[in-house]
Amino acid sequence: MDFQEMHMVNVRRDGAIIEHFRSNIGRKVFILTESFPFLYIGILKDVVDDMAVLDVEVSHVPALEEKEWHVHVHSIDVFYIETGMGEKIPDLKNQQKGG
Amino acid sequence: MIRRYHVVAIPIRIVVNTFGDHNPNGMMYVLKENEQKVKDLVRKNPFTPVDLVEPLVIRANEGDFVEVLFENKLPFNTGIHFQEADYDVCDSDGAMVGFNKDSTAAPGECVLYKIHAVQGGNYFFSDLGNPSSTENGSSTNGLFGALVVQNRFSWWTDPVTGKPSNSGVYADIHHPFLPSFREYVWMFHDEMEVDDITGNRPINHITNQDEESFHGANYRYEPENRRSQLLSEGVVAPNAAGEEVHHDSWVFGDPSAPILRGYVGDPAKIRLFHGGSKETHVFHYHVHQWFSDPGDLASEIFDAQAISPQSHYTIEPLYGLGSLQGAFGDAIVHCHLYPHFAAGMWGMNRIFNTLQDGSQCYPNGVPIKALQPLPDRDPPPKPTKLRPGFPNFIPGKVGNKAPRPPLGIVGGRGLTELERHAAVPNPRPGAVFTEPCPPGVEVKEFNISVIELPITYNKQGWHDPKGRMYVLDEDLEDVCSGKKEPEPLVIHANANTCIKINYTNRLPHILDGDAFQLVTRTYENGFHIHFVKFDVLVCDGANVGWNYDSSVLPGETAQYSYFADVELKAWFFHDHLFPLSHQQHGVFGSGVIHPRFSTFLDPRTGDEVDHGTQVTVENPLIPNYRDFALFSQDFTLLFDNDGKPLNPPKFPGSQDDPGLFGVNYKNEPLQFRLGPDCDPAYSFSSHVHGDPVTPILRAYEGDPIRIRLLQGAQEESHSFNVHGLRWLKERGDLYSRLDSQQHTGISESFTLETFIPRAGDYLWAFETEEDLWNGLWGLIRAYAERVPDLIPLSDRPLPPKQSKPLPECTGHAPPADDPTCRPVKGPVRKFDIVAFQIPLQYNRYGDHDPHGIVFAHRADMKDLLAGKKTPEPLILRANVGDTVDVTLTSMLKLDLFPFKDGIYPYPQVKEQAFYPPSLRISLHPQLIDYDVKTSSGETVGFNGDQTVGPGESRTYRWFVDSQVGACGLWDMADIRNHKGHGAFGAFIAEPRFTEYVDPYSLKPVRSGANVILKNPLLPDIREFVLVMHDGVRLLDNDDQLIVDPVDGILLAPPEADADLVDTYDQGSRGFNYRSERLINRYREHPVLHELFSSNVFEDPATPVFESYVRDPVTIRLVTPAERRRSHTFHLHGHRWHFDAKDANSRVESFVGFSVAGAVRNLLLNGGAGSLAGNPGDYMYRSGNIRWDIEQGMWGIMRVHKTLQKHLPPLRE
Repeated sequence: MDFQEMHMVNVRRDGAIIEHFRSNIGRKVFILTESFPFLYIGILKDVVDDMAVLDVEVSHVPALEEKEWHVHVHSIDVFYIETGMGEKIPDLKNQQKGG
Repeated sequence: MIRRYHVVAIPIRIVVNTFGDHNPNGMMYVLKENEQKVKDLVRKNPFTPVDLVEPLVIRANEGDFVEVLFENKLPFNTGIHFQEADYDVCDSDGAMVGFNKDSTAAPGECVLYKIHAVQGGNYFFSDLGNPSSTENGSSTNGLFGALVVQNRFSWWTDPVTGKPSNSGVYADIHHPFLPSFREYVWMFHDEMEVDDITGNRPINHITNQDEESFHGANYRYEPENRRSQLLSEGVVAPNAAGEEVHHDSWVFGDPSAPILRGYVGDPAKIRLFHGGSKETHVFHYHVHQWFSDPGDLASEIFDAQAISPQSHYTIEPLYGLGSLQGAFGDAIVHCHLYPHFAAGMWGMNRIFNTLQDGSQCYPNGVPIKALQPLPDRDPPPKPTKLRPGFPNFIPGKVGNKAPRPPLGIVGGRGLTELERHAAVPNPRPGAVFTEPCPPGVEVKEFNISVIELPITYNKQGWHDPKGRMYVLDEDLEDVCSGKKEPEPLVIHANANTCIKINYTNRLPHILDGDAFQLVTRTYENGFHIHFVKFDVLVCDGANVGWNYDSSVLPGETAQYSYFADVELKAWFFHDHLFPLSHQQHGVFGSGVIHPRFSTFLDPRTGDEVDHGTQVTVENPLIPNYRDFALFSQDFTLLFDNDGKPLNPPKFPGSQDDPGLFGVNYKNEPLQFRLGPDCDPAYSFSSHVHGDPVTPILRAYEGDPIRIRLLQGAQEESHSFNVHGLRWLKERGDLYSRLDSQQHTGISESFTLETFIPRAGDYLWAFETEEDLWNGLWGLIRAYAERVPDLIPLSDRPLPPKQSKPLPECTGHAPPADDPTCRPVKGPVRKFDIVAFQIPLQYNRYGDHDPHGIVFAHRADMKDLLAGKKTPEPLILRANVGDTVDVTLTSMLKLDLFPFKDGIYPYPQVKEQAFYPPSLRISLHPQLIDYDVKTSSGETVGFNGDQTVGPGESRTYRWFVDSQVGACGLWDMADIRNHKGHGAFGAFIAEPRFTEYVDPYSLKPVRSGANVILKNPLLPDIREFVLVMHDGVRLLDNDDQLIVDPVDGILLAPPEADADLVDTYDQGSRGFNYRSERLINRYREHPVLHELFSSNVFEDPATPVFESYVRDPVTIRLVTPAERRRSHTFHLHGHRWHFDAKDANSRVESFVGFSVAGAVRNLLLNGGAGSLAGNPGDYMYRSGNIRWDIEQGMWGIMRVHKTLQKHLPPLRE
């Protein structure tokens, strides 16, 4: 069995995400991770090796907001980058009504 | 390593408070090294509590072998039975069970117990040598204790001296690389004999009747009765009424009850045990929250936790003492059941903010004992004249009520100089000494009043003329004018909100007297909150210890402030000053903290709202949901339309279960839903009787819902069930098991999150017999098509337009569709079941139910009636993926019912009424999937008729979509006349491809409590099904009624009679239509410690489950019936995961809260004989000494070492 080949899928997946993130630096991104804190919304500031550097505007944990966070691309389960082509990521803090 | 303790059981006078209340016949375990010392101290101090007189707590580390040399100095055989431990059951069980040898010690003798502390945790221990529940027994007199097992390599010191200690309820625990923490053992117990200082039973000085029985912790209690005597005698605070100052140290000094001391931020563990015998309590600890399962970060967060007898938990407050906000002061710890609280079941967690080296005093001059700082934390600052620390900056006056907080009351006072130095930099109303709200968070303000107004509970005019409730100020006029129906106040806010409450006391000074209550001056009250973060000194809405009294007088407005840091469940709020007097009138409500960015809408109009028991929630990130709040109530003090009090107590002011029940200030008693045909089978039908007045929770098919389940009042356990829906037991944990039932005690809060798979009416019910009888049920109504007064959820497909009119009440039984007319894929299992009457023999002593009602396979009916087969509860099995078609036929005969006149005399329910036996019957299953319109086995709401009359048959179709294991099965056609006679069973959802064989013949079986599960992918497993049930009406060999529990009491005092027993304790009890009542054995051979012995007697009538050492064993425990007293289940020498589906869940040897609808799957760790593989007879039993074990709730799991001819081994 060629173990090198087996690794290829993951390597290629991460490589593609890194590439995609690099080409979208400066844009707003929405990320879900399996582990805490689960949710980030912010500006994709940079990509350093396989770490996405985020200016986090919103998380569901308020104490983590308005800070720079480094997210390992391997831990990203779901993401959406606001490119102007599709839906806008909602401005949660300002759209909140009452409550 | 081996740890050795020499423990002695001694008789001892236990003085439980400084008023001289005492148990002259107390018993305790004590270390030999302390035996003489404690005896000397008690002799010298006959009327004051002695510190050493406390439940024995010894400690060990995980992996240790513990050898206990036990010496018995009591006048009967006693022993020590350790829960949670591995041991040789033949010589270290502390009992004499089955064919084991006797491991109790005779008077004056010693016995050596060797146990293995396999894992860290709480090892409760108690005596089984004398199982009497009376004052002649051992457990009720204090013979219990705890072995606390710490992480490996731990050591422990005394928190006052810092020196190593061998025993004690308080210790500081240290570890080479884990943080040190404070360990407090809190041992609830109840029903202990207590005499007053004169040697007589305590009398309540207000009612001049017997005082409530002992309810305390760690052999101490501080009753309101005693303290308020000092008021009435003018010794202290003569202007106080009583209840409002019960916990006030300014008036009385500190209580004798436990005070758990620490510094702000100290990590702590409260080892919570229930050493008592009878009641299920609710442990509530102000200011703090904890994981329900400390080792499982996905487990529920609690701040109130029920605990039933002989069970235990570890309470590890999140963020340490003072919680996230770093509060300091006195955080009260108590049983939330108000009659217990008032009886004295409380203590405090005292959080100091300055160093206590033994040189300081409390304001009343009592020295403050030194408290060693934890060695790995910075010590708090030393007290100075300007900053003396809690409590010495508070401007109180000893002997008088605590002062009101600064800034807290509109128009009130500012800060004194000392207060200013103790305060945060920017003190504000409600946040003076701790600031819970971070800067910049959104502030949400609510204006809330508490008012008195009559509340009508049902269409028949049952009403509470002195209803008291919370209401938003903007709704005041509408509620008072009758424009808005009164309902408990539920306010809604988002996580990360600073909540401000302007709280106005609009109650009259006086709560008037009537048949239920004496006139009480309830002149002040507060708004006490759960879960949110706040400054306990000024914002507790309570009057505790040396804190301020944060309540307000009539006409005053208090300003409170809290921080809701994260999404919380429904946080409970209520008054903490006079709750015993008026919470049962309706003084409770809730706040729900939703996920951030949520919006709350009126489900009828779509308008934005911020309060209501039913709201629709929209959120941009997660699916929208319907949010429903339900509050159960007991002690509801109602009068009928003619002004007659309903179930009044024997005398006003009695706490002996007065009144009835409610849910959200409503009830729908079944006695009013008989109709002209007088058939109970249609009591839940809206076709026949219209909708109930109780809440109908409305949604569309497919909608996500969250039910916020709370209990508003007052003393009793309730068992909430939803028929046809289920939810994750641990809501945030995808590995959690599914459940459709939840036990609740007052102040507990649960969020049941699920969705509605199909349109139809789903029954929700607090489903013990008496609750249901008195109207604690309602509907969840899911519409298939659009209705005008319910907005659809905006993120779900629009429901189709209405194509047909909604059903209406016609007064007639509805037709029912046949669910089997539709084709299904996959395997179909068909069962042909008959329901019929047959006498049930509960044991060999002739205790029997001549009117038994059973479900059975049609093929077995003839043999059962001919006596060739013995009736057992019906146990059906099917595999995941199966479709199950159950055809039910009724063969019930009116002549075979005991009470054809429609009055069922015993076991009773409150508010007895005519309810004749139904000849119709049904079969309702839990947890598996089915269409409620056809196959829920009940005729509910506008669903079709799903009951069958004599000679009729109908088929239910169920889908086994998940491996839920044990499910209860029961009749829903007549909850008064059927279930107590045996109309129940179990359904087991097994893994795919499983076959079930008889353990003796190895032939395939279609039912049975004892089978081997054979599965190509799994090892062979022995499956033992235990149906735990109560409320049974038994006759003895002479056909005389057995009035259990009283008739089954061992060493019963002459005054014991049925009147002493709550309705929900009435009836006999056991497992699987069997009961091995100890009284029968005792009459034959009156030696207490030998009553469980099969050498002396035969094996018990209850199931004896056999296996070989290390056989994989799964126990399926179901509790289909029926009374409200919850039972604990315990199996000696074995442990299992709390959640069989979740490997991260805690491991324990008990199941608490076995009450109507509870189910559990117990996969025994290590198999039969546990990890050590010890053969012998292991007792399974209830943990309730009063009144279960004597009454026959026990049996044996027999583990063989050598091959037995009659029992084939499992396949290797």
